[in-house]
Amino acid sequence: MRLFLIKTLAKVTQGLINLFSLGTGYTWPGHLVLKLFPNVLAVPSLLPAHGVVLVSGTNGKTTTSKLITHVLRKQGFTTISNESGSNLAAGIVSALCLNNKSDYGVFEVDEFVLPYVLKYVAPAYLVLLNLSRDQLDRYGETDTILDRWKDALARFFGSTTLVLDATQPKLSDLPQVFKGVSLFFNDDTTLLEHTLLKGDFNAKNLNAALLVLTGLGVPEEAAIKALSDFSAAWGRGETLEKNGTRFRILLTKNPTSFNNNLSVIAGDENLRGSSLLFILNDNIPDGRDVSWIYDIDTKLLAAPVEGRSVYVSGTRAFDMAVRLNYAGITVPRDNVIPNLNSILEKMYGQSISAKVSTSTAAAEVVVLPNYSAMLELREKLIGRKIL
Amino acid sequence: MNMVLNIGYLYPDLLNLYGDNGNVEILAYRARKYEMDVTFTNIDLTGAVASADLAKVTLLFMGGGPDSSQRAIYQDLIKNKAGFLQDYILAGKTGLYICGAYQMLGKYYKDAVGSILNGVGVFDLYTEHFGKSKPRCIGNTSATLNTMIFQDPVFPKTPLGNQIVGFENHGGRTFLGESAVPLAKISKGHGNNSKDGTEGIVYKNSFGTYFHGPFLSKNPHVADYLIFKATGSTGDTIKKLPVLDDSLIYVAHTASQKLKQ
Repeated sequence: MRLFLIKTLAKVTQGLINLFSLGTGYTWPGHLVLKLFPNVLAVPSLLPAHGVVLVSGTNGKTTTSKLITHVLRKQGFTTISNESGSNLAAGIVSALCLNNKSDYGVFEVDEFVLPYVLKYVAPAYLVLLNLSRDQLDRYGETDTILDRWKDALARFFGSTTLVLDATQPKLSDLPQVFKGVSLFFNDDTTLLEHTLLKGDFNAKNLNAALLVLTGLGVPEEAAIKALSDFSAAWGRGETLEKNGTRFRILLTKNPTSFNNNLSVIAGDENLRGSSLLFILNDNIPDGRDVSWIYDIDTKLLAAPVEGRSVYVSGTRAFDMAVRLNYAGITVPRDNVIPNLNSILEKMYGQSISAKVSTSTAAAEVVVLPNYSAMLELREKLIGRKIL
Repeated sequence: MNMVLNIGYLYPDLLNLYGDNGNVEILAYRARKYEMDVTFTNIDLTGAVASADLAKVTLLFMGGGPDSSQRAIYQDLIKNKAGFLQDYILAGKTGLYICGAYQMLGKYYKDAVGSILNGVGVFDLYTEHFGKSKPRCIGNTSATLNTMIFQDPVFPKTPLGNQIVGFENHGGRTFLGESAVPLAKISKGHGNNSKDGTEGIVYKNSFGTYFHGPFLSKNPHVADYLIFKATGSTGDTIKKLPVLDDSLIYVAHTASQKLKQ
């Protein structure tokens, strides 16, 4: 009865949002439900029948969750996830309330919110990928998050299996404080060859996903086969085309993901000759402090720029341009435009003339946006909001 | 013969919170553009540093760090480095000390439960953490440099005048003693303690500040001032240096002035 009430409330809220065109408002129903029923996640009948997988960590949450969901669906299971990246409590509650009951729930969870979610939900698998410096002004130091995780795991009971990156020394204390079983994945790159994904960091995401999937009973061979046509999560290596220009979007929200993606660009023959567009915002989801751009490896930053046109945009475009300057890269003043629409207009124009002169296929732009910048860019290129 | 800038970097691996090392890169980058020879002396936890290496240092940098790192270096700092730091600073040699480093060079740090941690004691200041009764000082900052610095003939004349910008993130609040001179007067942000309008300290040729991370990135006049002080440059030698194109940095600085706290 109570579950019916909660789900109805969530669906009515979403209905009203749609009716009055208040945007996609994906997390609003969750906010409202949490306000009225703070313990909603403890209602067992709300949770999927076969169990829940939670994925947390600084980098790789979205891709790893999507990998697991992709294979489970191909195996004929129904799944619920917070696919639009709304990884705070309200996003997870929304996903559970707005969908019909499914076999599995696969959720990415914000590092900071994880202890709160673990108070209510005992996942079958808890994947902890990594912890690196991210949004100091919002999260505090990584040690603070690690302490919160240890606290939550020490108090945690339930038949959960912990899945951890064996190559992360920071996480090595966690199995000791956790009473249940821990499994480890590593950085072996064999699986990469079976997929369309690139970069050593994605090898880890694949290994983590495979460990969970085989644990859930999916045969290893079937899982690997199912991964072969996996396309990148949005903003994580996906390609969008507009006005004869192809944009390859590599989310770069902290020094680690920046360094990872810079290595991918420098090493990818297919991206030779593409332009580079950096977009740096300082909105709340990004963290308001952009100091971290000086933690990007200067040598890695300089390497992919050689022989490419560089553009810089976002609310902190000038900070990024100065950062590039101190890596020895001079960005022409006219290529630094905070307004995203304006810089895209300029780039469409340039790519079209480039196309005429070389008469090759669409001009390619590699984009390195941080979080809100990635959402904004997708909206401009696809023409609708996703969050 | 080229001028030499030897940058001493205290605890480069541990005290590097959120882009602090950017300051060292920026100093080196600018000094090389000025055709100076740049060398580095990293000073870390592992034992005593050869005094010959320390004697070479002309510009000392020490950044902030996560609490765990500050705990990790504290004993070493007080036991093995305090003497050197006192001599270095009292001799009027140049240094930039940010956030946690700035606090540790003061007399003491009183934490939220009232226990006292002694500092190096070379700066006339103390820091107090008021626990949950006062919020952390976080946000964009701007300030006006002390006239004493701004009117120094070696201080570069730029379109930025006496303005500095940055970002602060600190739990402790710092109070300057009678004899201490603030680095700047805060116009946006909390500065030393969100009460008396002061920000940082200037003592001889040492500069302490709460403007954290890559403080020098958008304050090129301060970066050059440190380089000129450290190399003993004079008006005449400065005039002969190549002119750097900082126009983009000026735009970034001006844009920062307009950011919300």
